[in-house]
Amino acid sequence: MTFLIEPWQWGDWMWRGMLTLNLVAITSAVLGVFLYLRRMSLIADALAHVALPGIVMAFLVTGSLDGALMLGGAALVGLFTAVAIEWVSRQPTVRSDAAIGVVFTALFALGVILLSTRVRDAHIDTHCLLFGDVLGVSDRALSLVVWSTPVVLGLVAIFYRWLSVSSFDARFALALGVPVAALNYGLMSAVTVTAVAGFEAVGAVLVIALIIVPAATAHLLARSLKGMLAVSVGHGIIASWVGMYLAIGLNISAAGAVVVAGGALYALAFLFAPGHGRFWRWRRRSLAHRGQHQPLSPPG
Amino acid sequence: MKTGSTEIFWSRAAEFFSLQYDFALYALLAAVLVGVICGLVGTFMVLRGMSLVGDAAGHATLPGVAIAFLITGTKSAPALLLGALASAVLAAMTITWISRGPRVRADAAIGIVLSTFFGLGIVLLSYIQASPTGQQAGLSEYLFGNAAAVTPAQIGVVALAGALLVVLVGVFYRPLSLMVFDERFAQSLGLPTHWLELGLMAALAVAVVLSIQAVGVILVAAMLIIPPSAARFLSKKLPGVMFASILIGGISGAIGAMISYVYEGVATGPAMVLVAVVFFALALAFGPVGGALPRALRRRSARQIALQRGLR
Repeated sequence: MTFLIEPWQWGDWMWRGMLTLNLVAITSAVLGVFLYLRRMSLIADALAHVALPGIVMAFLVTGSLDGALMLGGAALVGLFTAVAIEWVSRQPTVRSDAAIGVVFTALFALGVILLSTRVRDAHIDTHCLLFGDVLGVSDRALSLVVWSTPVVLGLVAIFYRWLSVSSFDARFALALGVPVAALNYGLMSAVTVTAVAGFEAVGAVLVIALIIVPAATAHLLARSLKGMLAVSVGHGIIASWVGMYLAIGLNISAAGAVVVAGGALYALAFLFAPGHGRFWRWRRRSLAHRGQHQPLSPPG
Repeated sequence: MKTGSTEIFWSRAAEFFSLQYDFALYALLAAVLVGVICGLVGTFMVLRGMSLVGDAAGHATLPGVAIAFLITGTKSAPALLLGALASAVLAAMTITWISRGPRVRADAAIGIVLSTFFGLGIVLLSYIQASPTGQQAGLSEYLFGNAAAVTPAQIGVVALAGALLVVLVGVFYRPLSLMVFDERFAQSLGLPTHWLELGLMAALAVAVVLSIQAVGVILVAAMLIIPPSAARFLSKKLPGVMFASILIGGISGAIGAMISYVYEGVATGPAMVLVAVVFFALALAFGPVGGALPRALRRRSARQIALQRGLR
């Protein structure tokens, strides 16, 4: 038990890291469910990558790393990315997955070049941006997360009905008069804001993991939207805590450990989800194969 | 100042393409080869609607490299490349495995594999860093690529593997093209689509691993996606798309390597990608197959014909 309590006594970096990580995990898990249902999980990948050019461009325009400006700049770049992806994928010969790939890699490359030529002396650390530093969260990163989380979650709560109906059936939502396109762009902006706010603390790749993996796990386990949201948030929080303690115990990267813990949780759900877990299906099949009296259930 | 700097640019560019320096030659060769190989393999990935599997495979090389380093204890290139290859293949196969079956969406499967593998790679790297033997120089080179650091031996390997890929694509051209355009039809003909798919995944992994030295793990996806996507605006037929994609990839490699030589601090990978993006934008605007300008012209002439005939 001392193992669980001890790190908290070593200094305030523990609670700062934990607070940041959990807030980012909760927001990402909630937004991730809506993205997942819209089959837009990989847009999260794109948006998390464009947070880098977003931050760099905001810095180039304003000359400061002020939190609000950075969030604003990143939200703008995120919105631009979403619009660009949609526009490119509307071209007759481009599929949506290729459109995502073209747009985000282009912006990421631009961001890397701007970073290496224009802002060499600013305090933007690529390693930190990509991999995060949960145990070294700066005041700015902490306050960004603390301020953006209630705003994003509040917006989700306000637009909950619209979001849910348009996630399951966009045409029906359109027929009901829901502004589907505006809602989509709002969701994209919220994802980018969350990615940027959580960026410094947890890194680009971890943000992707926190957005995509919990929702996918929730889809394996839950049957309703509310259930999915609950499982998704639970997944994010459990992965954060398990990963953090793993990181401290083994002296490894906290961001990476949280991702791996989340991936492991998904693997468990994938294999052992009640009903359609791969392990149960495999066992059912092998039992049936051996001629034992096992009722065959329909696939799925 | 302005004219002076453009003069410097052109003299440096001429210096690069004059090939009087070995390292410039190696960088050029590496970048062009990478562009060509990615253009070739990427064509099949993009046409199959699996563009982003390349992104996942690129990110997924990280744990393989780290494990190879942990096992061998050295930074010897062959071992690290083998590790990268193994984990890229594993990632590509995991994606196809999980995305089959109920309650899993293919796009989410890509994201899950990508982030979990990359997270594992970061964990292992941080472990290596913490251990006394591990000094991890060159991580950023690994992430963003540096064609100038490629050695002649590595170029030989890349050229050889590239030639092998070209031959394989040539041999399996008909079944591959059938599968790319109509998988069910290919299946009904009795083609082993399962094995072809596996072979395609292996080719993808090889292309990714060959490319990471020059363009880095994060941007390898760009070289797999952007040239073929641009090429689709240029031709309706598979050979045309393939050829245009290879050409765009190769030229992007050459110009990208030159830019990274001329401007200090600009990594090769991002430079190549931005050149490819320029080609994509040009193709999007002027490409004969669905480009914006030809489409607008066609629409206009159709309207004029309609007006002349009195149809409004």
